[in-house]
Amino acid sequence: MSDKLLSITGLSAGYGPLRVLHEIDFSVAAGERLAIVGLNGHGKTTLFRAIMHLVGWQRGSVVFDGIEIGGTRSLGEGRRTPGIVRLGVAMTPQGDAIFPGLTVKQHLDCGAYTKASWRDRALRRDHIYHIFPQLKALEQAYVGKLSGGERRMVSVGRALMADARLYLIDEPSLGLAPKISQRVVDALIDIGLDGKAMVIAEQNVALLSGKVDRMIGMHAGHLRGDVGHVDLA
Amino acid sequence: MDAGLIVYALYLAAIYGLMAIGISLLWSSVGMVNMAHGATFAIAGYAAYFAAIWGQPLARDLLGTTGWDIPALAVFIGLVALLAGALFGIVIYLVAFLPIHDKENFAVRSLIITLALNLATVQMLLWAFGPQQKALPRVFGTGRFTALGMSIRIDQVVTIVATTLLLGSVLAWLRRSRKGLEIRAVMQNAEGAALCGISTRKTALPIMMLTGALAGLAAVLLSQNVFVSPTAGVTPLIKGLTIALLGGLGSVPGAVAGAVLIGFIEAATGAIPFLGQRYVLFVQFTFIVCVLLIRPRGLGGLLDETRE
Repeated sequence: MSDKLLSITGLSAGYGPLRVLHEIDFSVAAGERLAIVGLNGHGKTTLFRAIMHLVGWQRGSVVFDGIEIGGTRSLGEGRRTPGIVRLGVAMTPQGDAIFPGLTVKQHLDCGAYTKASWRDRALRRDHIYHIFPQLKALEQAYVGKLSGGERRMVSVGRALMADARLYLIDEPSLGLAPKISQRVVDALIDIGLDGKAMVIAEQNVALLSGKVDRMIGMHAGHLRGDVGHVDLA
Repeated sequence: MDAGLIVYALYLAAIYGLMAIGISLLWSSVGMVNMAHGATFAIAGYAAYFAAIWGQPLARDLLGTTGWDIPALAVFIGLVALLAGALFGIVIYLVAFLPIHDKENFAVRSLIITLALNLATVQMLLWAFGPQQKALPRVFGTGRFTALGMSIRIDQVVTIVATTLLLGSVLAWLRRSRKGLEIRAVMQNAEGAALCGISTRKTALPIMMLTGALAGLAAVLLSQNVFVSPTAGVTPLIKGLTIALLGGLGSVPGAVAGAVLIGFIEAATGAIPFLGQRYVLFVQFTFIVCVLLIRPRGLGGLLDETRE
């Protein structure tokens, strides 16, 4: 268990009477980059949101780096989310939960929630601009006025601002042109995972084929098959 | 319209603006309509009254010879009222926000709880201090001075300057500081803010204290003209709420514009001979209804993006 950064056992979650996840078990090791693939509406996003305590109700164990962040609850949606973020889980939400009235710069600063990362936030911003060069010119632009691809880059950049140890990237290609989604995915693949881990939820298997360490299918709220390294090419 | 009338209008705008901006900020960041804002106003008024009783002889003894006793007393009363407003903000936070903020229908529930808190506080003040009206000493200057050939009341000018300074620094703090950034992040997207590690509970407390302090300042400033009483908060609450609505609930520039408009309407209605002071509320509400008929989102939509 000790080399597991995240281990989930018997996780069920849903919204009101609707049960989306059915007794999910899976784990992520440190240094691993894995993809969860599956069609729309089969629970990939709900899985991420359950880890972040953003679903309506959930039960089951979620252990992150030896600390239990799961449990049973049916209320208090989002109450523990900031605490989980501060433990080192960074999630980019689906459809970019983003602040339209903040500039790119302010938006990135929002991601620097720890004291240390807030102190050297300028340095960290430069690092993000190194990954996504086109954001540098848009530093003072309002995020609400950016294109979908640029917004996705801001969203991913925001997650990279602090020292998270687990990145949950929800649908990096959603709603983007193929060329741009390829660029976003390439940037995600290029990020060094030194003792960290990244989970990418994605519908488009081809986009990730041969690039991640492990692929897990998701169907109707169950994880189906741990297919390991997949190379469609 | 002479200069005195314009200054009077701006004076009213300053006080209404303090109330309306407090209500608007709280709605846009926390998502609750604070009906206890009037109670905060009354509580701060009483705090200022007792501060004045306690502080007046003290100031006279210490600074009476230098001539600075009245300004020092004014600052002292103002600070006490700000503090009392902020403390009552904490009470509202503990009673009406913390227990229910992540439950369903928070907006309606908090509205009901703050309304109950408002009524309970007014009754408590009645029980404790009785219905007598109490007058604050005139600490913001008396008399008039002449500028451009027109006489202007000093206390009104002091009010306008004090309000502008305070609101300016609050808005600058919202724009510049890290806490301000967090508050604006929560305003725009609470879930996104949670995913940035920003806790709604931790940002709501300073904003509640801040809006409470604004109401406290409004109480001291208005109490130069009207009396401190348990029900003193009702009219400012109603005007603050309607101005916040007029400005587009949640929009700070809209609330400022609404307060200035309503202030001018009140001053002008009072000055027009055949209307007079009696018709002030009538004219104001007619105006607000007309604006909301044409622009249901209020003025704010013209000026910036409001919530939703």
